[in-house]
Amino acid sequence: MTDLSLPKSFESLEPLVANWALPTQNGRQQRRIGSSRGELRAFYDAMLPRLEDILAYVDKFPLGELPPDAERLFCLALSLAEVAPHIELYRGDPKVPYSFDEARFVADHGAVAA
Amino acid sequence: MNAPNDLKWAAKFPDLGTGPIPVEPCISPEFYEEERKKVFLKSWLKVGRIEEIAKPGDYKVKKLAFAKTSVILMRGKDGQISGFHNTCSHRGNKVIVETGEETFGRNKAAVVTCRFHGWVYDARGKIVQVPEENKFHADFDKDKNGLTPVHTDVWEGFIFVNLDPSEKVVPLAEFLGGMGTHLAGFPYEELGQCFSYHTYLDCNWKVAHDAFAEAYHVATIHAGSFPNVFSSGLQNVELFGPHRTTAICLSLNAEPTPVAKIANSLATGSLVAKRSTSMLPPTVNPDRREDFSFELSVLFPNLLLHISEGIWFTHQFWPVAHNKTLWEGKYYVRPAKTNSQRWALEHAQCLQRNAWLEDTATMEDTQTALESGAKTVMHLQDDEVLIRHGYHALEAYMHAE
Repeated sequence: MTDLSLPKSFESLEPLVANWALPTQNGRQQRRIGSSRGELRAFYDAMLPRLEDILAYVDKFPLGELPPDAERLFCLALSLAEVAPHIELYRGDPKVPYSFDEARFVADHGAVAA
Repeated sequence: MNAPNDLKWAAKFPDLGTGPIPVEPCISPEFYEEERKKVFLKSWLKVGRIEEIAKPGDYKVKKLAFAKTSVILMRGKDGQISGFHNTCSHRGNKVIVETGEETFGRNKAAVVTCRFHGWVYDARGKIVQVPEENKFHADFDKDKNGLTPVHTDVWEGFIFVNLDPSEKVVPLAEFLGGMGTHLAGFPYEELGQCFSYHTYLDCNWKVAHDAFAEAYHVATIHAGSFPNVFSSGLQNVELFGPHRTTAICLSLNAEPTPVAKIANSLATGSLVAKRSTSMLPPTVNPDRREDFSFELSVLFPNLLLHISEGIWFTHQFWPVAHNKTLWEGKYYVRPAKTNSQRWALEHAQCLQRNAWLEDTATMEDTQTALESGAKTVMHLQDDEVLIRHGYHALEAYMHAE
């Protein structure tokens, strides 16, 4: 079975791992586009109070050398980076309002975890 | 309305005039064909960065659709970068098989080999080996049949080519002139983490260029991603031959949102965050204005280069047809040192991507509407002076011998 565990004291976020701990930016972007307003809001509300703790925790490890549970936690935070503008700026809209078709925008770096 | 030369930039650059601009150059296939020959096949064009081919034997192949070619850029064992058409001297096959708009590779011996019959060329384009050479006829001279060279030069780490087949062209430094001096000395290489996007837009390359070459649109188009950000007007507009530059000054009226606030405190990645010390060249934002956001420079014909504190980015518009353009957007920041900085850059980059999605949203509509023929001219305000100069510079090239 896939390991969905998170580091100690972050266990309450474990229900988010399966959907949101995605390793690539393209994957996180697709998840955001495919989510409902309610799903984005619930994810944001669960993550925001823990964001600073998460960033302090991942900084205990050198850049790019996270153990698997911390890596999953970090990917959750990266998904929040993707989702936050939609809650904070776009009134919860899963798409960027009045924008070009995102599917036609090719991110040359996006398939890798950048 | 204002009398002629009442306005700041009209007064500073009276030669540019103040009248409306014809839209024909954006919609005419005949104009495009002339433009291709007189501008794009005659100008220095940015095709890469030296870091992309950092080591001897590294090469990059860049498609140039307007010229129906692709160029190989290769770093030799001596560190020198040379450029060639990606066309084999034997029967014209592509020497390097391409995998996309840009193809990268490396050969330790600093040679490239055509897959078709195994002809080998060195980094200077010379033939190193022809299999079964003894079966070729006497009138084939190996030394005179290297790869077809392309004028290639480097400015501030940017690799440029000029496809003009003439043996002599204006040197790159001379072509860039004062524009090259103005933007020299910025730590482009140090801010080396690149986020890169591309897409094909169904519009003329100038429609895309023009949409990015003013700040008039910020309050409307970016009301989503950059709310409460307003252009406080262009500053320090300068023209250097066909090139042009301005300071974009933005007022930030709002407290950042919660996640943005955390991101801004960790790393410099966003254009709409306040920053302190300066890494800018002395002629850029010379008065060190508080509201300076970035320098927007156009390197004729098709490169927008923007520099800011801790960030630089480019837009490039490659014509494919009179109504089709390959757009490339590249955003560069200092590489993260910590995981939290890495997270902050992700946030800044997502926001920037979204802003570019807002920018590109108008372009195809503009093209379609222009092609209706309903309007024969466009009207520019004083702070759209870069667009006005763009059409002027273009006209000069179109009428040059």
